[in-house]
Amino acid sequence: MNKVFNINLGGIAFTIDSDAYEHLSNYLETIHHHFRASEGYEEITADIEARMAELFQERLENRPIVTLQDVKHVIAIMGTPEDFGAEPMGDEAPKSSSRGKWKFKTGKRLFRNTEEVVIGGVCSGISAYFGIEDPLWVRLFFVLITISGGVGIPLYIILWAVLPKAETASDRLAMRGEKANVSNIGKIIEEEVAHVSKKMSELGDELKAEFGSKKKAPRRRTILKENAVLPMAGFISEPPLPRGFMF
Amino acid sequence: MRKGILELCILSIISDEQEAYPSDIIKRLEESQMIVVQGTLYPLLARLKSAGLLDYTWKESGAGPPRKYYSLTSDGHEFLDGLMDTWNQLVAAVKHSTRSLTANKKAK
Repeated sequence: MNKVFNINLGGIAFTIDSDAYEHLSNYLETIHHHFRASEGYEEITADIEARMAELFQERLENRPIVTLQDVKHVIAIMGTPEDFGAEPMGDEAPKSSSRGKWKFKTGKRLFRNTEEVVIGGVCSGISAYFGIEDPLWVRLFFVLITISGGVGIPLYIILWAVLPKAETASDRLAMRGEKANVSNIGKIIEEEVAHVSKKMSELGDELKAEFGSKKKAPRRRTILKENAVLPMAGFISEPPLPRGFMF
Repeated sequence: MRKGILELCILSIISDEQEAYPSDIIKRLEESQMIVVQGTLYPLLARLKSAGLLDYTWKESGAGPPRKYYSLTSDGHEFLDGLMDTWNQLVAAVKHSTRSLTANKKAK
């Protein structure tokens, strides 16, 4: 069993399997990305979409639903942007060059991770950048250099001031070094929704604990949790949808 | 180089058909094994159009959305003539330079 979508491709309506849909929108995303800088961008992409619609029609004949196989077949016929010729139309120059001091070859960027904060999210941002599973290790490192030499606190404050907050979904992908394509952005948004609802239910438990049973009075726990909830209030007020996300 | 040749082929197909639908251009290019993937055509058409060599009109089709039909502008005709001359010169030059090679092959 498979979910289906109804799409309009090049002015023709198709019913398409969900996995096929995902594959197709990934492909179209790369096409759009490739031609974004070139002259006649809209025309090229519209023509390509129209041609793909035609190919789907030819291939489907009387079958009702576009499958993943059909999408793969049509993409093989159309080819990927790399196949279109060596030179990308227009200039794609600002690729790995100096767009940000913190951008390294990995395509990762340093951000403050506002999703996992103790103070400013600096440590969790750093651990995301280096792929360290648990930000605890980075935090421990900061504590250590604070105790041993005292540079920890000023260093932390400088990083806090300098590093940008990972605000949009694509920022958060760049923080982990993942590419900002459609499926990844979808993933991030799902995670955000899950994150917010988790925090909300935590808040609910919190209130229950606060106003409900005062018999056991888990005082210490509550205080700790309040701290965890505070930064999240700021998080909710920010819209979880990325800027410039157009689909 | 190959792209230039492809442009020449596209222009001459369009001039041949007078008004050409991209999918028909693709069909003819594939017959002569000029393109490997179909996506190659569209950026080229856009470039030729923005260079003022091509123009298109929308036409209703029997079924489905309206289609774009490309035709050569007068600049396009001129450009095609120029390209054709260059191409002929090139072919002659290559033939001339490799004549001993082809002659040897024939002898074998």
